[in-house]
Amino acid sequence: MGRVLSIQGGGRRWWISVGLLGLLFVLLALVVPLVVVVQRSLDAGFGNFADALASASFLRSLGNTATLAVSVTVWSALIGYPYAYAMARSGRVLSRVLMTALMLSFWTSLLVRSYAWQVILNDTGLVNELLLGVGIIDEPLQLIRTPLATLIGMTHILVPFTVLAVYAQLRGISPDLAIAARGLGATRTRAFWTVTFPLSLPGLAAGSLLVFVLTLGYYVTPQLLGGAGNAVIGQSIVEQTNVLLNTGVGSAMAVLLLLIVVLILGVAARFLGLGRVLGIATERSAR
Amino acid sequence: MNAGVSVRVVGILIAILLIVPTIVICATAFTSGSSVTFPPQGFSLRWIDDVLGDRRWMRAFGNSFSVGLLAALFAMIAGAALALGAARARGAVASVFTAVSVLPMIVPLVVGAIGFYLVYARLGLTGNVLGLAIAHGVLGLPYVFVNVLALLRTLDPRIEEAARVHGAGQLTTLVTITLPLLAPATVIGGLLAFISSWDEVVVATFLSDARFQTLPVLMYGQIRSGVEPSVSAVALVVTVVTFAVVLVVFSVGPIRARLARRSSRP
Repeated sequence: MGRVLSIQGGGRRWWISVGLLGLLFVLLALVVPLVVVVQRSLDAGFGNFADALASASFLRSLGNTATLAVSVTVWSALIGYPYAYAMARSGRVLSRVLMTALMLSFWTSLLVRSYAWQVILNDTGLVNELLLGVGIIDEPLQLIRTPLATLIGMTHILVPFTVLAVYAQLRGISPDLAIAARGLGATRTRAFWTVTFPLSLPGLAAGSLLVFVLTLGYYVTPQLLGGAGNAVIGQSIVEQTNVLLNTGVGSAMAVLLLLIVVLILGVAARFLGLGRVLGIATERSAR
Repeated sequence: MNAGVSVRVVGILIAILLIVPTIVICATAFTSGSSVTFPPQGFSLRWIDDVLGDRRWMRAFGNSFSVGLLAALFAMIAGAALALGAARARGAVASVFTAVSVLPMIVPLVVGAIGFYLVYARLGLTGNVLGLAIAHGVLGLPYVFVNVLALLRTLDPRIEEAARVHGAGQLTTLVTITLPLLAPATVIGGLLAFISSWDEVVVATFLSDARFQTLPVLMYGQIRSGVEPSVSAVALVVTVVTFAVVLVVFSVGPIRARLARRSSRP
């Protein structure tokens, strides 16, 4: 009898030891490297941090990153919300089509999508050819290697997170609520803004937060699409470690980036629940 | 209440914008010209032939595949172990297991990449499959963790109890009962971990060298040196493999849901 009960009671020790196997892997493979980064950042006392914060290019990259993160978040909300709404509140066919398009884009490699935007936005790319063809412009616009190109590429890559978060939220709101509001005399617009929209805000907040935090750590897309003068934090860090071979300062910058991310997620966890935000992060398995 | 016509139209327009980049890349891979233009000039398979016949690309393809498989294996073992721990331990211990499992999602890739490089270089784990697979394994672990945890919540504990009552030890029950029940979710998580490794470029760049490169690393280098149809062809190959794996995930998904329903039936 004791053995049967042990699944619920004494067996806990067994499951802890099973979990420890995985814990050990994460500790050795990831936590130790992170500790080494922190250690390396402190190898000159706080000198590396002082150097990092005294560097004009790093401070500029902080500003660029903040601007980019805000813009990507706002555009993702503006584009992602109506998309999620159309997906959640239309017939089976359209809903399927929109979900399929979203997934096709979502699952295309980040590198491939950044490359695609380079092809689309360069001087002989699709956009310039179209505008030249129609006669709106006489010579190609400089689109590539601009903050605009980074913004477009990043928004395209991250908007699915907003869509999935809002969609999940909207699916949980009964359409009957808006119908009731209309039955009581509200216009379609009023019913949306006073009933559906406020109820969907937690989803929008969670998605936006995730987009904001993810943008902070990007490197590849800004590197391929942005210009030399618009570097983001990720590029500053890689420049220190790989070009200037200054791992100490690079590590200090990396620690600062990690602190910013952890701080934002920590604050968000108190208001939104971390599970909700990170749940969407693994939504690549969403169906 | 259904979305109005204008919202639907906006939705369709955004859907087009979403898939245009993928379509552009796939189309430019089939160009018969020697520059990347859209619409492509003529149709040919020469660039795809080129890539498939190029030893450098093929070696990178092999590297990516090996790294992805091994990373998925690491992620599956460690992710399932942590999910079991998180679901069946209590209190602070369970919270630690969960926190450790989501950590790889929180750490920005650039930050992780520096750490991996600093530690793995000292251990001889750069420039080879094993080092990158360990790094990608830990980064892909959350996919396995989340999927297995979800399935564990629906699992009927009496199945395992039955095995124990009939005299099976803890290890026997785990290996012959629990793990097979968790297999669908573990495999789905593993496939997702494979894909996250398959198209990862930042960590891979830090852990590669001139002789050992993965497909994204080689592609990234090519893109930086100039846009070329062969890069589109590689991008197409990368995309096709990803989509194939995703299709498997989506077709295994319903099976998993059915299994979960069956095992939770009273």
